[in-house]
Amino acid sequence: MATYQEFIQQNEDRDGVRFSWNLWPSSRLEATRLVVPVSCLFTPLKERPDLPPVQYEPVLCSRANCKAVLNPLCQVDFRAKIWACNFCFQRNPFPPSYAGISDVNQPAELMPQFSTIEYIVQRGPVTPLIFLYVVDTCLEEEDLQALRESLQMSLSLLPPDALVGLITFGRMVQVHELSCEGIAKSYVFRGTKELSSKQIQEMLGLMKPTASAPQGRPAAPQDPAAACRFLQPVHKVDMNLTDLLGELQRDPWPVPQGKRPLRSTGIALSIAVGLLEGTYPNTGARVMLFTGGPPTQGPGMVVGDELKTPIRSWHDITKDNARHLKKATKYYEALANRAAVNGHSIDIYACALDQTGLLEMKCLSNLTGGHIAMGDSFNTSLFKQTFQRVFSKDYKGDFRMAFGGTLEVKTSRELKVSGAIGPCVSLNSKGPSVSENEMGVGGTTQWKICGLCPSTTLAMYFEVVNQHNAPIPQGGRGAIQFVTQYQHSSTQKRIRVTTVARNWADAQSQIQHIESSFDQEASAVIMARLGVFKAESEEGPDVLRWLDRQLIRLCQKFGQFNKDDPASFKLSESLSLYPQFMFHLRRSPFLQVFNNSPDECSYYRHHFVRQDLTQSLIMIQPILYSYSFHGPPEPVLLDSGSILPDRILLMDTFFQLVIYHGETIAQWRKAGYQEQPEYENFKHLLVAPLDDAQEILQNRFPMPRYIDTEHGGSQARFLLSKVNPSQTHNNLYAWGQESGAPILTDDVSLQVFMDHLKKLAVSSAA
Amino acid sequence: MTASMEAEDLYIKPGNQERGWNDPPQFSYGLQTAAQGGPKRAPLNKRVPPPQLTGSPCPVSGNSSTPMIPFNPLANPLAPPPCSTNTPPRPCPVAAPPLSGMMIKLATPPRACPVVEHTDTASSQSECEPDVEDVITHLNWALTACRHTVKKQVCDDVAKRLKLFEEMWNSGKLSLPVRRRMIGLAQELKSCNWDAADEIHRALIVDHVNEVSQWMVGIKRLIAETRSLNPSLLHTQEVDSVLETNSTVNSE
Repeated sequence: MATYQEFIQQNEDRDGVRFSWNLWPSSRLEATRLVVPVSCLFTPLKERPDLPPVQYEPVLCSRANCKAVLNPLCQVDFRAKIWACNFCFQRNPFPPSYAGISDVNQPAELMPQFSTIEYIVQRGPVTPLIFLYVVDTCLEEEDLQALRESLQMSLSLLPPDALVGLITFGRMVQVHELSCEGIAKSYVFRGTKELSSKQIQEMLGLMKPTASAPQGRPAAPQDPAAACRFLQPVHKVDMNLTDLLGELQRDPWPVPQGKRPLRSTGIALSIAVGLLEGTYPNTGARVMLFTGGPPTQGPGMVVGDELKTPIRSWHDITKDNARHLKKATKYYEALANRAAVNGHSIDIYACALDQTGLLEMKCLSNLTGGHIAMGDSFNTSLFKQTFQRVFSKDYKGDFRMAFGGTLEVKTSRELKVSGAIGPCVSLNSKGPSVSENEMGVGGTTQWKICGLCPSTTLAMYFEVVNQHNAPIPQGGRGAIQFVTQYQHSSTQKRIRVTTVARNWADAQSQIQHIESSFDQEASAVIMARLGVFKAESEEGPDVLRWLDRQLIRLCQKFGQFNKDDPASFKLSESLSLYPQFMFHLRRSPFLQVFNNSPDECSYYRHHFVRQDLTQSLIMIQPILYSYSFHGPPEPVLLDSGSILPDRILLMDTFFQLVIYHGETIAQWRKAGYQEQPEYENFKHLLVAPLDDAQEILQNRFPMPRYIDTEHGGSQARFLLSKVNPSQTHNNLYAWGQESGAPILTDDVSLQVFMDHLKKLAVSSAA
Repeated sequence: MTASMEAEDLYIKPGNQERGWNDPPQFSYGLQTAAQGGPKRAPLNKRVPPPQLTGSPCPVSGNSSTPMIPFNPLANPLAPPPCSTNTPPRPCPVAAPPLSGMMIKLATPPRACPVVEHTDTASSQSECEPDVEDVITHLNWALTACRHTVKKQVCDDVAKRLKLFEEMWNSGKLSLPVRRRMIGLAQELKSCNWDAADEIHRALIVDHVNEVSQWMVGIKRLIAETRSLNPSLLHTQEVDSVLETNSTVNSE
């Protein structure tokens, strides 16, 4: 029998699913006692090179409120040509096209290896992908030049038949007509006046001239010819658009001393959303905002134009002294929801040294599955490559982007859906399998994910509803089906169906089995997402207390110990890493705002709630590898004890890659030993972490910052602030020994954290 | 990656440290696309459990079973690193690190591509100076073929950009890598390898956008228009005569 680790890996590879528990407690009561809910991380479009899509429609259960898709878990009567739904037990006849079905002639969707299957369905006309650039012109010349070039370059990376549009903004907002000939024209809007979607469409001439439309029928927008003026196929307008971009000038309005430029980001975005809403609803589209500073006028303004008033800080926010925060947030949330309804996603590329208002604008991307990239300048490799990678392609040459996704979850009767956390919005689809116990975005069995890529991952939370002492449910296992409908980058409509099942276990007699089925990596990410979700609405210390309480309860449940004897406390292998994950999570920028601006926190959280398990876990607890003459690179504890003079360390925090040369290594490098042929080994040692870092840099989205430092270097702080401070100025016994590098901090170390945890876990008072 | 992508098109250049703190290095288009499809090394995603739960008294740094090198940096500020050769170390006043067991090979496969700081050094290997006439001849050949069916305005626009390209080349504003890759692009175009030509155009605009952004879009359009032509239009007498006239011009 395979180990659970192998089982978990196989399931992730095949279905893109990682469950917190791989055996499910058979009653509601027992489930709550397990602390970590029955839940999973689900990657709807996980790349599956070995899974060719099938070219027919899925077969659905005929029960109106079920409509589950035929799958390998269904019972099939080949003679009667009938299948029984494994969710509602409805017996369904096969459609006529399945007449030839038999034991030896089964369609793919009945074979166990196709627990995940993708259907290509063709409904309605094919519409091209749409990219609408919204470009801030209040930039320094160097930045604007770099941005012009990146935008010109992107025309070569877009699919040739994609539609492209351009809106520029500063004090005014300009919507550019893109024509193949003649003089470039644009429509100019004031940046201060809020306009309704209808007004925008009228002003852009998108309404048909039937002003006196019969009442009850809204004036039909969607005049395709009119829309054409603003959204044109790349292959037709590439030359003119290249010139237009090349001629983009900095916002001409003078900026007086002591003032910020007037930036009408709010209106520019509302025009972008309104334009797409009126012309291409329910079609894959990406609004791409490029901005170099905060919105400073009109609706959605984040800060005034007086430079002497700084942009809000955490301090202002906690003191309720952030004047524009609530209003701006509300404004962008309303825009985000409109875009989400139409299936359009919004990206934000914000490059500036100061904050740009991501805190207020984050929902634009978070609710629509758009990207956020944050950099210092458009003239950096960080921005340029991140932007290029938006257009990266997969093994088949298809763009790694999908649009207009809806994810529907079906469960067997003993389970209900509590909610989801990820770049999605609720579709408010009620039904018998909606749990009242909401976790994340709940109260529905369907979510909309306007923009997806192969790594987009949602955390899904479930509730076991089987009553205590009731027998283990029929069939011995519970099932969940994920149905993801989306527009592929080739513009095809596709449906991916993943059906998974896990065995029920009696938590009283089989607790050890349940314990060994625990996926501590998945659970850490799942609990962390809950924590981050809570942190958006609750006070930081409350979230930390909640996390601590969950951890203590988990340790009480699964630790082995004698009452009131902390020294006796032990955790089994399947939980051995979990407390450490929680320790680092508590210190992470996802829950600690200290030393991070509100924008930075929003940025970090944005990526945390959408990446896959591996990347999310790197964000919680950075990876640390050690390179030495002793052998191949090896993972080491993220601990100050790992910082040794004769080692090179490579730390990956997802957002930063740090290469740290220990004291002796740094001296050897300075002395130039790597140049001498007899020390070729040393040269190899120096190169090894660079090679590994390069591989990470080549594949990571967004591009991380890259830090090459050494013992005593000022940038060593990036490493020192992440490692567990097991040696500090407070525990002097470690000094003078070759056991690591003391950190000057009063932060609690993992050792102290664990001591407290053990004490609390074994306490009979708890 | 196309076959015409050569080793010197695969490079990494440093990020812009002046404008962005710790700006990462920039990968060339070739390296980037190679990484997208290529085989991945084993990811670095392993972790070790903390000793607090396994009974060991203090944090271990990695594999505690490997012996520590007995050197003391305080007493000996700079002992040399272990030698690569099997010969004993040179006599040293202070204890040199032991050599035995130092030959363990690092588990990193040799790099697939050379990493250079900038292309110019690498590309200096290219032997002869590329000739603009060869490139222009092929591009004009394609443009002439397009003239019959493609709108005049588009063709004129393309012609304008080809002219700009030629001027920039002649006035020495194009770097050697750009000129060399344009030769490759023109040849692929002439051989009707549209995908290959398109790929070179993409690599050029990604890697050298500041040099090529003004005229490259004309070449992009030319590739797109020529590939959608009826193949019979590619070799009419008139079209082929472009090649001949130009070659006579060259020989003069």
